[in-house]
Amino acid sequence: MLTQRRKGAKESRTKLKSNPSSPDVIEQDGLNELRRLLVGPEQQEIEVLRERLDQQESLLPEDISRVLPEAVTLRTRRDKKVTEALLPTVEEAIDISVRKNPQTLIDALFPVMGPAIRKAIAEALSGMTQAMNKSLEHSLSPQGLKWRVEAWRTGRSFAEVVMLHTLLYRVEQVFLIHKETGLLLQHVVAGDASVQDADMVSGMLTAIQDFVHDSFSVEEGGALDTLQVGGLSVWIERGPRAVLAAVIRGNAPQELRAFLQQTLEQIHAEFARELENFEGDAAPFEPSREDLEACLQSQYEQGSKEKTKKRVTPVRVVAALLLVIVLVLGFFYVRSRWRWGNYLTRLQSEPGIVITNAERRWFGYSIAGLRDPMAADPQALLGEASLDPAKVESHWEPYHSLTPRFVLQRAQALLNPPPTVTFRVENNTLYATGSANHQWITETRRLVRVIPGLDRFDESSLVDTNLQAALNVKSRIEHRVVRFVLDTTGLAPGQGSELEALNADIRELKRLAPAAGKSIRVEVIGHTDQLGSEETNLPLSRERAEVVRARLAALLGDEVELTASGAGAASPVREERSEEDKEANRSVTVRVTLTDS
Amino acid sequence: MLGGFAVGKTSLVRQFVESIYSDKYHTTVGVKIDKKLVQANGQEVNLLLWDIQGEDGVQKLRTSYLRGAAGYLLVIDGTRRSTLDTACAIQQSAQELLGLVPFIVVINKTDLVDEWDLDESAVAGLVQSGWTVYRTSAKTGQDVEEAFLTLAEKMTEA
Ligand SMILES: Nc1nc2c(ncn2[C@@H]2O[C@H](COP(=O)(O)OP(=O)(O)OP(=O)(O)O)[C@@H](O)[C@H]2O)c(=O)[nH]1
Ligand SMILES: [Mg+2]
Repeated sequence: MLTQRRKGAKESRTKLKSNPSSPDVIEQDGLNELRRLLVGPEQQEIEVLRERLDQQESLLPEDISRVLPEAVTLRTRRDKKVTEALLPTVEEAIDISVRKNPQTLIDALFPVMGPAIRKAIAEALSGMTQAMNKSLEHSLSPQGLKWRVEAWRTGRSFAEVVMLHTLLYRVEQVFLIHKETGLLLQHVVAGDASVQDADMVSGMLTAIQDFVHDSFSVEEGGALDTLQVGGLSVWIERGPRAVLAAVIRGNAPQELRAFLQQTLEQIHAEFARELENFEGDAAPFEPSREDLEACLQSQYEQGSKEKTKKRVTPVRVVAALLLVIVLVLGFFYVRSRWRWGNYLTRLQSEPGIVITNAERRWFGYSIAGLRDPMAADPQALLGEASLDPAKVESHWEPYHSLTPRFVLQRAQALLNPPPTVTFRVENNTLYATGSANHQWITETRRLVRVIPGLDRFDESSLVDTNLQAALNVKSRIEHRVVRFVLDTTGLAPGQGSELEALNADIRELKRLAPAAGKSIRVEVIGHTDQLGSEETNLPLSRERAEVVRARLAALLGDEVELTASGAGAASPVREERSEEDKEANRSVTVRVTLTDS
Repeated sequence: MLGGFAVGKTSLVRQFVESIYSDKYHTTVGVKIDKKLVQANGQEVNLLLWDIQGEDGVQKLRTSYLRGAAGYLLVIDGTRRSTLDTACAIQQSAQELLGLVPFIVVINKTDLVDEWDLDESAVAGLVQSGWTVYRTSAKTGQDVEEAFLTLAEKMTEA
């Protein structure tokens, strides 16, 4: 309609313009006058329209606004042109809006995004277990039922139980360890596996290898390559400079070992220089993550459902089979229960072993308790009880049993008694019998206190050999007698040798005493016979003592402290009955005192 | 951590890592590993501490636990004279195995003044020969941190 109107206007304009150029002007004027009279108002209208068209060459906004919504709807129904045309504008608009005030958009999107994200996470997490749950939800296979019972019994979710049973293996963690230092170079973890401090685990793994290598005589090149802990095993691959350890749940195929080996070789090739120059900074090994992540493999059993489906056989056969299975399982169940009971009784009677928890599980046993390192090995006893060690999860905490037998063994090991000493333990007391040197005895007195299970040391039957030796010499000295001539301070003939002997003895004692923790004091004592009065005897005895003291002092030097005193006739060497006794009493003796140094 | 038995190796590590001390004695069997992040010479150092069972009458030092060590603390019990000799013997074997890696001598149990029983002249000799000696108490915490940090510094310098 619009286009038609525009065409008409153009035509009339050409007509109007061509006419004034004709020769017959007067006739033309008249005609024009007539035309003005006849179509004047229309002509004016046309003028206005023409101007509008000329100036704007398009439509008024009011015109478009009237038809725009319908136009867009119509076009959108036909094709995507409108969307395509608007796309850049809309994108730019959002961009500007976000820059100007992001809150508007956030407010608008939040109610949609929150649930969407939550849903996505939940779906990702439960993905596999959900699927299994569904597929087994209604399957009433004997296995399905069994698992269901297990789930109910252990309080796990059904899906988790299914997963546990269908899991063939999964590599949960991989450690790359520097061989020389035992330091961690790189560590990767599969999904949701639980993780301890990787640095410390790395150290422990290295220590365990060292321990095994030292403790068991392995042939050249042999070393620890598998650790088994409950349902987990650790596979260890060794290279010249690095060690790869994979923590695996379940039973992995041998191919995995080959793969680990290849990975380790590859890492050795890729990081040859870094491994050689490793100084404790693990950063250069960051790129090895990819190699390690490739080792995080897993495999689940599939088609367990199909198997049961294939066995769709007459009901009777199934029932008979079930019966046989129940009987066989029952037999094994009863037998293993009986063996387990025996094992527990055996352990309970074993000294140094305390059971804190013992459980029967569906496919094995678990036992936990305390064990003195000197007690019998519960693992070895498993074999005696005909139980399969792989089916028993044991957890033994070391502790110190206070059973006297173990206390005794521990004391024996820590105190290292000489062969001349025997030990006995009773009422937290260590009784030592025999003989030992002084140093060992004093050391032992101190150490007994730190040995668990002991708090006293009884040494009443223990001879201190150092002290004994000193006492022997002391007694020898005290039996020596230096004789004098009647009524004088002159030595009887031949007494020089007795003085020499005293000198030698005192020197020996001086040497022996420190080892027994003693120091010595020497007292020279003068005597007289009973002839004469006390007034003369007392000074005489004192002088005699002084003579010997001086002679000894000259021989011994000032290393030994010597004192002299006189006893008169008051403490004779012998009871005086004969002349021989009298001679013996005209003399000097020596007394030695040992004091603690 | 090297030294005779019951000299306080485990106690020192516990004091350093967890700031805990206990009078109870549980002898270490094998090795126990701990770690602590420290600052030394302006850089972060992750100390992995191997607390090795003490040497006693039956158990000789397991040298394989020393392999790869970047440094060590030699612990002596100040109330037991003989632990000094044990420490010197251990130092010998450690040096043979590791070469010249940094180490620090720690004379522990300084809080037990009454029972002190140490050959001070021998200690002075060690100091003179260039050994770094710290006197610590795992019980009161005295100088424990300093000893470990000094070792960390020596190791990062090396
Ligand atoms: N008073 C005091 N006692 C200490 C100190 N350090 C350790 N002890 C005690 O000494 C005993 C032995 O300490 P541990 O730390 O177990 O000794 P260890 O060197 O680890 O011993 P092993 O592992 O057997 O080689 C424990 O009873 C501690 O409480 C100390 O600084 N002061
Ligand atoms: Mg310890």
